[in-house]
Amino acid sequence: MDAILELRNITKVYGEGENRVVAVDSVSLSLRKQEILLIMGPSGSGKTTLLSMMGCILRPTEGEIVVDGRVVSDIEEEMLPDIRKQYFGFVFQSFNLFPSLTAVDNVSLIMRLKKHDKTKLQTDARGLIERFGLGKRGDFYPADMSGGEKQRVALARALAGDPPIILADEPTANLDSKTGLDVLGHLRDLSKESQKAIVIVSHDPKVETMADRIVFLEDGKIKVRD
Amino acid sequence: MYWLAIKTLFHEKGRLVITLIGIVFSTVLSITQIAMYLGMMGNATSILRHIDADIWVAAKNIQNFDFANPFPEERINRVNAIPEVLWSDRLILTWGFLKLANGGQEQVQIIGFNPDTGIDVPWNILAGNPKDLKSGRYMFIDKTSEQRVGRLELNSIWELNDKRFKLIGLSEGIKSFTTSPIVFMSYNQAQSFMTMTGWKSNHASFLVARLKDKSRSRDVAELLKTYLKDNDVFTKEDIIYKTVMYWTVQTGMGMGFFLTAILGLIVGGAIVGQTVYANTMEHLREFGTLKALGAKNSDIYKVIFAQTGISAVAGYIAGSVLILLARDGIEKAGVSLYLSAGLFLALFLVILLTCLLSAYFSVRKVRTLDPVMVFRM
Repeated sequence: MDAILELRNITKVYGEGENRVVAVDSVSLSLRKQEILLIMGPSGSGKTTLLSMMGCILRPTEGEIVVDGRVVSDIEEEMLPDIRKQYFGFVFQSFNLFPSLTAVDNVSLIMRLKKHDKTKLQTDARGLIERFGLGKRGDFYPADMSGGEKQRVALARALAGDPPIILADEPTANLDSKTGLDVLGHLRDLSKESQKAIVIVSHDPKVETMADRIVFLEDGKIKVRD
Repeated sequence: MYWLAIKTLFHEKGRLVITLIGIVFSTVLSITQIAMYLGMMGNATSILRHIDADIWVAAKNIQNFDFANPFPEERINRVNAIPEVLWSDRLILTWGFLKLANGGQEQVQIIGFNPDTGIDVPWNILAGNPKDLKSGRYMFIDKTSEQRVGRLELNSIWELNDKRFKLIGLSEGIKSFTTSPIVFMSYNQAQSFMTMTGWKSNHASFLVARLKDKSRSRDVAELLKTYLKDNDVFTKEDIIYKTVMYWTVQTGMGMGFFLTAILGLIVGGAIVGQTVYANTMEHLREFGTLKALGAKNSDIYKVIFAQTGISAVAGYIAGSVLILLARDGIEKAGVSLYLSAGLFLALFLVILLTCLLSAYFSVRKVRTLDPVMVFRM
């Protein structure tokens, strides 16, 4: 079994009594190394909640989350940031870059957070930026970059510190078709060349072509598995 | 994280300037109020502090040093009867009117003393020798009085309550709490002068005594109280304390300064708190992202506190420099400022603490920030 991430019968319930909402209902999933898993579903189906639980940002109400063989769903709250730092890179729909930092600094920030060797921060961050074709844009601030460039910086940031799992929430939603394809190409390369396991939540049909596996979520439940 | 704090802080220059203005305002207001208060208290006690006497005997129930009442000077014999006393002497503090060149007059505080004993006044002497005061109707006056009485020229003749005195010396920076110019003269001259205002000729305002062993001052004061039941007997510290408390508490003046200084801190703290909080709210998404990416709350607290701390230090330095630049102008206007390294350090700690406390609401907001929000926006 080469699963890097497993969800075992997890459920997430918000509210109580009349306000009780089951966002994710008894979902079991596993993510293998180098796999690209696409989670699709209509709005409100629980995709983001599921992704949040996969990334140890949100705790399940029931069930277990196992990362690299370790059950993390019941560990102490203050341990979770370390798990996220060690295992996950995140790509967000709205990029979530720091406007006061240049592209290189946005990447090096995560390296600092992960206690990267300080003497190599700038070099390594610049190397990642160049890898995504932004060599000449490294000293630019996000406000001076296009959407596609921002998302490529976000990809570089997700890769900083070399986490084994990349979680991407609607990574092409704010991009035009061509730029979206470019970003998806980079994600595919990450899976194949950097051997990353990638989970993508998306409505974008273009993503389906590159996914190894697609999961459809509806009303918090998995409907179909390929 | 300090790196991020600095980058973010200096990236938003407009916000930084507003924060700094708040801290500079707070610093200037607080320091000037406290320095003015300390300066006035310094003036009120300058003669008490400068005369090297361990024991002060005054009339019964005096309110403070400036409001002395006369009592028979012969009581000095009881002071001298104490074996611990090294020397003792009499002192006169009274008030008079100095006639000015333009025909007007200015009230002055008169200090009469014996220049041959250990009463080492005046000090900071610019010209003249205090020992010459005993030779006749001579006086010393402080140079800072020029604003009030006009140009002070050595050997000029001045009329003080219709008596003519020759100015034979100048001191620098000796002021009274009441801001009246201080005139120094010999004890005998001051005493003869005092009789003009209805006092008996053998009366003094204070008896002062230096002890062989300063550490015994409390015991000697207690002993003298039993001998001098019609007088108040103080150690040097006690009479300074009484004078300071009179001006601070009984007149309400100290409370006025204190409240203004506190107001400065509150306004400065509010401005800093508001800008730091607004800054935090504006960066919630970034802080949420940081949390999602693996930052702990403590990492983000470091960013907030570092930004607040840097602003506090920069604002305080700027405010302090402003005060130091304005100091001469303020003092030339007749306002005494007591500025010392200790005061700057103490106020810095207070302002730093105020700024850090004002960041509390930002920290509380971050503590409850759910990183899931990064997926929702």
